[in-house]
Amino acid sequence: MAERAAVVGIGQTRYKTRRNDVSIAGLLREAVDRALEDADVSFADIDAVIIGKAPDMFEGVIMPESYLADALGAMGKPMLRVHTAGSVGGSTAIVAASHVQSGTFKRVLTVTFEKQSESNAMWALSTPQPFSVHLNAGAGGYFAPIIREYIRRSGAPDDVGIKVAVKDRRHGARNPLAHLQLPDITEQEVRDSMMLWDPLRFLEACPSSDGACAMVIAAEDSITGSKPPAWIRGVAMRSEPTMYAGREEVNPQAGRDCAADVYAQAGITNPRRDLDCAEIYVPFSWYEPMWLENLGFAAEGEGWKLTLEGATSLDAGGDIPWNCSGGVLSSNPIGASGMIRFAEAARQVRGDAGAHQVDGARLAMGHAYGGGAQFFAMWIVGADKG
Amino acid sequence: MVAAELLSQHFELGFTYTRSTGPVVGKFLTGLREGRVYGVRGSDGRVLVPPAEYDPLTGAALGEFVEVGQQGRLLSWCWVSEPREAHHLQQPFAWAMVQLDGADVAMIHYLEAPSAEAIRSGARVGISWAAEREGFITDIRCFTLLEGAAP
Repeated sequence: MAERAAVVGIGQTRYKTRRNDVSIAGLLREAVDRALEDADVSFADIDAVIIGKAPDMFEGVIMPESYLADALGAMGKPMLRVHTAGSVGGSTAIVAASHVQSGTFKRVLTVTFEKQSESNAMWALSTPQPFSVHLNAGAGGYFAPIIREYIRRSGAPDDVGIKVAVKDRRHGARNPLAHLQLPDITEQEVRDSMMLWDPLRFLEACPSSDGACAMVIAAEDSITGSKPPAWIRGVAMRSEPTMYAGREEVNPQAGRDCAADVYAQAGITNPRRDLDCAEIYVPFSWYEPMWLENLGFAAEGEGWKLTLEGATSLDAGGDIPWNCSGGVLSSNPIGASGMIRFAEAARQVRGDAGAHQVDGARLAMGHAYGGGAQFFAMWIVGADKG
Repeated sequence: MVAAELLSQHFELGFTYTRSTGPVVGKFLTGLREGRVYGVRGSDGRVLVPPAEYDPLTGAALGEFVEVGQQGRLLSWCWVSEPREAHHLQQPFAWAMVQLDGADVAMIHYLEAPSAEAIRSGARVGISWAAEREGFITDIRCFTLLEGAAP
C-alpha cells in the first residue's frame, strides 16, 4: 500500500432492542456525529463516504444509501455501498481503509447500521427459492449442525459454549454501549435457558439490536483529533462458496487464508503471543473455540481449552482477551456488528476502551464473518505505525 | 441429440416491516393529523415543506419548525384525464406543484378542478383536508382552486 492509514475517529450508538425515537437516517447520524467529533473534523473535511449494511430485505429498504446522502454529508462526494452479508461491517471498514491507503482520498467517513426492530432479519435471511433447499431456520439453525460437528471432532466438553456466553456478557457489562447488560449472569442460567438449536441455548445466541457504528479513517498526513490514532497494520478479505458437497464448514479455508494474509502484513507469526486482544465475530457461543482454531490462536481441536482456561477472559486475566466489548453476543445490529469489532479493536490500541480496556494494548485484531461462514474480513490495528 | 428440458418456476416473496419516522418527518405527519402544516428552516434560511431531517445542501441536522399556511400558489401542473385505480381522486385531476404561503419550495399533491381549462399556473389554491386524518400525506385529501382568486 502506498499510504499509511489510521482510525482517527470512532462513534457508536448505544445498542438497544428498539430505537423507534429515530429514523434510520437519525440512527446513523448519531454514530456519524460522534465519529466526526472524536476525530475533531466536520463533513467539510471528509472526501468520501463508504456505507454498509446487511441485505436489503432485512429492513425492506432497497438501496438505503440512496436516501442517506444528506444525513451522511455526502453531497458532492463519492458515496459507495458495500454488501457482504454479516461480514459487511468489516468489509466496509476495509473498503474505506483501502480508499485511503491507495492515496485516492485523505479522509473517509465509513458507517454501518442495522435497525433490527424494524426488520425481518429472521425470515429475510434465508428465502425460499425454487429448486433449492429452504433452510427456514435463521442463522442459529444453519450453524448448529456445524457446531455439533466441531464438538464431535474436538471432543470438547458440553459447557464450553456456556462459558463463552457468560464471559462475553460479563465483558459486555463493562461496556456502557452494550445492548445486554447482564453483570450477574451465571453458567446455570445459561444452561437453564431454552434450547433453540441444539447445542445452542437462548443465552448462547446474540440479541437483536438497533444501532450504528462509524469511523473516520485518515492518511498519515491528515491525522486529527486529540486521541492517538489506531494505525491500520493489515487488512484482508476472503470468500468461498456457501454450500457444496464436501465443503469444510467447521474450519473454512477462506478464514484460514484471510488470517494468514493479515498476519503476514502485520508481521504476526503467533497471534496468541503477538496480539494483545481481539474482537472476533462470535454470534453463537461455540464460534469462539471454532474461530480460535480457524484463526491460529490454537491448534486444531484445541481451541476450547483456551476458553476453559480463561485465556480469552478479561475478568480471568487471560493472556489473549477476546471480545472485551461484550462482542456480538452482547450487541448485534447485524450490518454494524463487523464494524463494531474493527472499531473496538481500534479503541483498545488507542487506549480509549474505558472499563473494558486491556492494559497496555498495542496490537489488536478485528474480525467479521458472514453468509454461511463464507465471507471473511479482518484487520490488525496498532498503537505503532509498524 | 434431444435438447434437455430446463426447468423454471415462478415464485413470490413477501415480508412484514415497521418504519419509524423520526423527529422531523414525524412532526410533519403528526401536524397533518392535527390539521397543521409544518416546514423546517434550512441552513440557507429557506423554509422547506415537507421538511427535511438533514439539510440537502450542508447535511446539517434541521429542527427549526415553521408552521406554514394552508393556502398557496400553484407553480405548475399536469392534467390527468384518465385516473387509474391507484389514484386517490377518481375523476380527472391535476398533479400540482404547490408553494404554500410561508414556504420557499413547492410540494407535489393532487389538485381537484372541474377541467384543465379552469387551471392556470399562478392560481391560488388551498388544502382540502381528509374527513379522517391519521398522520399520513393523504391527510391532505387534495388541493382545490380558491374561488374568486385571480392568478
